[in-house]
Amino acid sequence: MHETGIALEILRMSERIVQQQGGGRILRARVAVGELSAVEPDLLRYAWEAVVAGTPAEGARLEVEFFPARQRCPQCGPVERRPGSWVPLCLGCGAPLTVEGGAELDLLQVEFEPQGEAG
Amino acid sequence: MSPTADVRAQILEANRQAAAALRQRFAETHTLVVNLISSPGAGKTTLLEATLERLAGRFRTGVLVGDIATERDAERIRRLGLPAYQILTGGACHLDARQIEEAWAKAGFGALDILFIENVGNLICPTSYDLGEDFKVVLLSLTEGDDKPFKYPAIFSRAELALLTKMDLLPLVTFDVAAVEQQIRTLNPTGTIIPVSAKTGQGMELWCRTLEQRWQAKRG
Repeated sequence: MHETGIALEILRMSERIVQQQGGGRILRARVAVGELSAVEPDLLRYAWEAVVAGTPAEGARLEVEFFPARQRCPQCGPVERRPGSWVPLCLGCGAPLTVEGGAELDLLQVEFEPQGEAG
Repeated sequence: MSPTADVRAQILEANRQAAAALRQRFAETHTLVVNLISSPGAGKTTLLEATLERLAGRFRTGVLVGDIATERDAERIRRLGLPAYQILTGGACHLDARQIEEAWAKAGFGALDILFIENVGNLICPTSYDLGEDFKVVLLSLTEGDDKPFKYPAIFSRAELALLTKMDLLPLVTFDVAAVEQQIRTLNPTGTIIPVSAKTGQGMELWCRTLEQRWQAKRG
């Protein structure tokens, strides 16, 4: 359960960015969470609610964009799969598949009130 | 409409920077850094004890070991007459690069050929944190069951090396080695899998040879 630490990092980064922009209160942060990032989107949302509570960002929303990993056959191209299920070998030619993407753990966007402390 | 800022930055950027600094330092000293990850009780410390005994005299080794509480694991290594430093995380479920930085400074190991980092026993959280290592090693013990790679795909997709530990228990447990290897290969087609037993010595030579080869490659 390291989602609390990660939520705290999101808050710190968002605060820094809003400060640079001369903005006020954080309203929303949007993050990318990959299927292979070892971070659980729901737990991250709960952790976010806990870390913003009692801070000026209280009530700010966390939007989690989920990025599934992709499997690919070197000969036949992308293989269709559902998140959580893995295709062992290419259904067309039996070749081993590669795994791409899914490691995302990024802050994408921060929305904030226009007025900063100075404004 | 409220203003927005587009960012595109790694959430663990501070950790990434600390890990990059460690990687740079250990590149300069040609120290191979291995990050061992598994669930609690998979045999990380036992594997290390057997590994260090085999490497002793030929390689200067050091161990940084992370646990929530107790010095037990570091004491086990020190009992072999080898340097080890315990990192107490006080409840945290993983090690991060800044803890490694601090522990390295406190440990006073001197120049090393191989630094082993024994992470906190957990198959999930340590996956997200780069510790400046050359590669991650995941251990899966036979008693944990043969469905684990697909249940914990993040670590199995990232660890360059997977060790199936406690192979001596194979006659006693239901564990489909071929099925597990297939799962690991699906998640990580370029990774290496070595079945080992610290007790009987099975696979230990191959594992130690792999470490030696990686160390030589780093030395250039």
